[in-house]
Amino acid sequence: MPSRKHSWGVLLAGALGLSTAGIAVAPIAAQAAPPIVIGGTISETGPLATDGAYQIKGIELAIADANKAGGWLGRKLELKIYDDKSSAGTAVRLYERLITDDRVNLLIGPYSSLVTVGIAPLINKYKMATIEPGASDPSIYVAGNEWNLQGTASSIRYLDQLLPAAKAQGATTVALLGLESAFTLACYHARVAQAKELGMKIVYQTTYSLPLPSFASIALAIKNAHPDVVEACTYYPDAVGLTRALHEQGFAPKYLAETVGPVEAPYLKALGPLANRVITNTGWWTNFKTPGNDAFIAGYKAMFHQDPEYHAATGYAAIQALGAAVEGTHSLDQAKIRAWLLANEVPTIQGTFKVNANGLALGYAQDLLQIQDGVLKLVYPEADAEAKLLVPYTGS
Amino acid sequence: MEGATQPASKGGPIRDPFPGGADGSARARRLRGAAAALVLLALFVAVPLISRGYLLQFATDILTAVVLAYGWNLISGFTGYLSFGQVSFFGLGAYATALMVMRAHVPWYFAAPLSGLVGAAVALVLGPIMLRLRGILFALGMLGLARILEVVFNNWHYAGGSVGLSLPAELTPVAVYVGMGLLALAGFGISAFFVRSGFGLDVMSLNEDEEAAAALGVPTTRVKVIAFMLSALLPAIAGGLVAWNRSYIDPTSGFDPTVDLQTVVAVMFGGIGTLWGPFLGAAALMIVGEEFLVYFPNLELALYGIVVIATVLAFPGGLVGLANRLGLLRRPIVLSPKSLTAAPPEPRPREYTGPVLEVRDLTVRFGGLTALDHVSLSVRSGETLCIIGANGAGKTTLFNAITGSVKPTSGEILYLGEPISRVPTYLRAQRGMARSFQIPRLLPSLTVWENVVLASRHGRQSHRAAEHAAWVLETIGLAQMWRDPASRLTPGYQRQLEFARVLALSPELVLLDEVMAGMTRDEQEAVRSVIRRLPEFGVAAVACVEHVIAAVADLCDRMVVLDFGRKIAEDTPEKVLKDPAVVRAYLGEPL
Amino acid sequence: MLLLQILVNGVLVGGLYVLIAQSLNLIFGVMGVVNLAHGSFIVLAGLFTYWFTSATGLNPLLVLPLAFVVLGLIGAGLQPLLVEPLMKFGRKAELLSLMVTFGLSYVLLELALQLWGSDFVSVPYLQSSWSLGGLEFSKAFAVSGAFAAAVSAALYFWLNYTDSGKCLLAASQSSTGAICCGIDVRRVRLIAFGLGVGLAAAAGVLVIIVMPLAPQTSDDLTLLAFVIIALGGLGNYGGVAIAAILLGIAQSLSAFFLGGNAEYVLPYVLLILVMVARPERFRPA
Repeated sequence: MPSRKHSWGVLLAGALGLSTAGIAVAPIAAQAAPPIVIGGTISETGPLATDGAYQIKGIELAIADANKAGGWLGRKLELKIYDDKSSAGTAVRLYERLITDDRVNLLIGPYSSLVTVGIAPLINKYKMATIEPGASDPSIYVAGNEWNLQGTASSIRYLDQLLPAAKAQGATTVALLGLESAFTLACYHARVAQAKELGMKIVYQTTYSLPLPSFASIALAIKNAHPDVVEACTYYPDAVGLTRALHEQGFAPKYLAETVGPVEAPYLKALGPLANRVITNTGWWTNFKTPGNDAFIAGYKAMFHQDPEYHAATGYAAIQALGAAVEGTHSLDQAKIRAWLLANEVPTIQGTFKVNANGLALGYAQDLLQIQDGVLKLVYPEADAEAKLLVPYTGS
Repeated sequence: MEGATQPASKGGPIRDPFPGGADGSARARRLRGAAAALVLLALFVAVPLISRGYLLQFATDILTAVVLAYGWNLISGFTGYLSFGQVSFFGLGAYATALMVMRAHVPWYFAAPLSGLVGAAVALVLGPIMLRLRGILFALGMLGLARILEVVFNNWHYAGGSVGLSLPAELTPVAVYVGMGLLALAGFGISAFFVRSGFGLDVMSLNEDEEAAAALGVPTTRVKVIAFMLSALLPAIAGGLVAWNRSYIDPTSGFDPTVDLQTVVAVMFGGIGTLWGPFLGAAALMIVGEEFLVYFPNLELALYGIVVIATVLAFPGGLVGLANRLGLLRRPIVLSPKSLTAAPPEPRPREYTGPVLEVRDLTVRFGGLTALDHVSLSVRSGETLCIIGANGAGKTTLFNAITGSVKPTSGEILYLGEPISRVPTYLRAQRGMARSFQIPRLLPSLTVWENVVLASRHGRQSHRAAEHAAWVLETIGLAQMWRDPASRLTPGYQRQLEFARVLALSPELVLLDEVMAGMTRDEQEAVRSVIRRLPEFGVAAVACVEHVIAAVADLCDRMVVLDFGRKIAEDTPEKVLKDPAVVRAYLGEPL
Repeated sequence: MLLLQILVNGVLVGGLYVLIAQSLNLIFGVMGVVNLAHGSFIVLAGLFTYWFTSATGLNPLLVLPLAFVVLGLIGAGLQPLLVEPLMKFGRKAELLSLMVTFGLSYVLLELALQLWGSDFVSVPYLQSSWSLGGLEFSKAFAVSGAFAAAVSAALYFWLNYTDSGKCLLAASQSSTGAICCGIDVRRVRLIAFGLGVGLAAAAGVLVIIVMPLAPQTSDDLTLLAFVIIALGGLGNYGGVAIAAILLGIAQSLSAFFLGGNAEYVLPYVLLILVMVARPERFRPA
């Protein structure tokens, strides 16, 4: 029969053994899951800071959501972001630092075509599969930059639904304008080609650079040509300038469409009644029935106490796509991730992520918005529309 | 604006505030220099061995900043023509390289240096036009050039338009690093040449006072254009290397005005117009910018602005200026002689026997004012001619027309029998026509020696410039002060230095413009003895404009009197001074 | 008719250009100071106007006297610190002032970025036009042009017909001569600089009514002002006014017939053409 002293000893030895084993195993268990570090830059300062702030918030929300769901490959995600000061040169240096010094696992692209065009060759040199949420300029995604994968609709699709819709409603003539800046110019050339393809008559076309003190002469020339449709691939200040000038010269086309400008908050403030029925484009909208969109909107409001806008959506969608690739390949191998993304389509909050062999976005589209009584409403494609496209533009 | 002659500027802060030179222990300086070179070489070699990634890229960026700084310094620092658009050459070089690589399949290591030549060629074409403008208009013109180039390249489809050009993405960071390092060394070398050579002395002289430099025989336009070309060469090659390194170029990044801003700040901070300034400033700025500005993300531009303002107002010499006060990094004296070996000039045979100077029917009109009205006179070999007249009579205008500062409306001027109306001022000086200025226009931050050797290099003893300069200084009596900056001389000695410069040109004809002005009796006597000795210096003829008639009456052989632009008398001094017309001109009609 | 409208558009823009350029011309003419921060002052005033009208909903033209006084005082305050110390360098003062104001422009740029961010903003005041005889006169341009003309006329009157103004003209022609006439040249320079900056502020208030401004456009405005002055003659008030109007007309014509890029690049091309064709105008005095 075992004595009492003996069983107490066994118990004590067992406890000691277990705790020692536990102490030995615990750090190993913790080491088994180091975080996945995603590196990138964003424009925290400089002229691109305002929109850069939206993009990075979208990325941060996506990371937080992913971590809530357990991370990727069972590991938590960490973000390592530097300020590129809205400068391509600074971004190049910082991405090199992320790759060679910080040795991050994955990369995410910066904001705006201007900065992305600078880092694109570097990304290729180091063969890092990188989703670029902020660069709509299609000329980046060519052979030689094929490790860059476009995470937003290409600018050649901006306003591409307008001319067919207008033609169907009887419009025949069009005036086209384009700002001399990478992605707006690509948009302009695409619209010119589309007009020709549709057999619509281009009665006036011009490109211009900023700053332009007065659009009066251009507006006068447009008035002289009296087109049904005025389509302008603009930024913000030229969108305002053009709209005002058309009004001052006394001309209102049936359809007035501008890119980028009308979506910016100050546009409405600047133009008041002149903005009514202006048409613009977007890659993301609050009424999209895409997977996770409602959660995205609610989560963004909760985390940042403001409404999200489309730059935030591109950032969020990019992380969604990247996560799908990591999980899909069960690895962090850059070549495998790239191959997977080229071969697969990923549903994100802003549509379908799908790229061609050079990384150019094929899946993401651009819908039409129209300002109606001071509020932006989705009007095309009709299947997803919140409201009908109102014609004509009256400038009041 | 003000009248024809200006007071000598008090060595404005764009130039080195501690003028005149380092001499000290040449050996100690050489040792320090060698040590610094070794340290830098060690650092240079170490970087690619330690890192192939970020650190290497950062070091390349530092070297790029150094190259741009040296380039900017060559034009803005040494010649004084501030250029706010040197980025134009950077962008041109980048595009030239990209086009050569992409369209003509030239390897990048040939394309980049060739792009340098493109930049220099553009500078050669623009230089003669733009460098004749006023300083601020040159600065603005360059700024405008950068804008125009940006628009041009935005619209040039062969060069990719606003999208730009992509270059093959090859990973050659070490080669680019070495290339940029060599370019930085070239920048240093060219700057060293500027600081130590006779050519560099020409450049510095035209920075101080362009008109005075021209009067001393410096071919100012040619010198400026060469400096401009060199200042375009460096950023153009750098642009090519950067375009290759980044594998793309577009108008925005090629002609980015922030590049100009950073370059200006770097050189101002380091010390404008110095040898080490661009290097110290660029390196400091890049390192500080990278490490510390991270903590003040929204202050970068403001800090740059404050650095520039503070440097101009309080520390015009920048870091090098501060070092100078500690006795370091001082500019060596150019062409410094080991000792002043006096050797009198070689005699020159005189071929021409006619009058040295002939003025025929000279008329000069400024708008509605007739400053000179059909004036004729001549100065014969071996004679001293004095030109007198009341204020505003046209005496200085006459001199200005003879030397070329003013263009005659009609009439002829013949020097040694040849018409010289089309000959530029500096060439007249080189042929032996030397003038002194009403108020001595010395080059204040250059030493006495440098002031004189500048002239002797362009004069008629240029083949033995140093010896001649030494001889002149000894003869005039300024030998002890050869190392002193000209600004430190008393007015009496400044007048002597002015003479020394005139004589260093070894002139045939000396034009003295009111040399007695403001002189005490003793100083006047010293000047008079120099004038008497001029034939010893090989001077064939002297013409002087004077107010203090008593001081020169016995020195001159003939006297000419001007009144309201017309010659009213010409004869021996005794007869002229008694001429009633002359008396009337000076004292007016009797009451 | 079309041509007339083009001319009208051009003249209206030119009116604004006059004010943008004259304020700089004043400073340059009197003390040879090249104020590279000129555009920054214009932009600061414009952005302030935007903020003021957004916050209070009042008429932006009310800001004009306020901006004029406030920025004028700031200019007068900066002059003895930054500009006056350079005056003792004689001929070199021109280039030194270029440097100092170059630095100042970046300090002001950062200030504007911190206060108002980098977005373009504009004020929605007067967005239509008056129809007269079949021609459209943009209200915004007409009003700012009218104000600009009024201010320029007032400036001209003050300079040529009042004692204080004549002192300023005297000082700009010869500071030594002015001193000998008992004019306190330092005070005149102070006033000229303050006035120049105040006028730039007035221009800013008027500019933001017609076109969106952002901190980064300050350099382009400075350059535009300099081009107009260079074309019209440095220090020549009449010439600059004419050059401004002619430039507006030229831009209007080129934009209509040649497109947007021609309008943008025209000032610089004209400058280079004039520099090459008439270099004597730009030679050192």
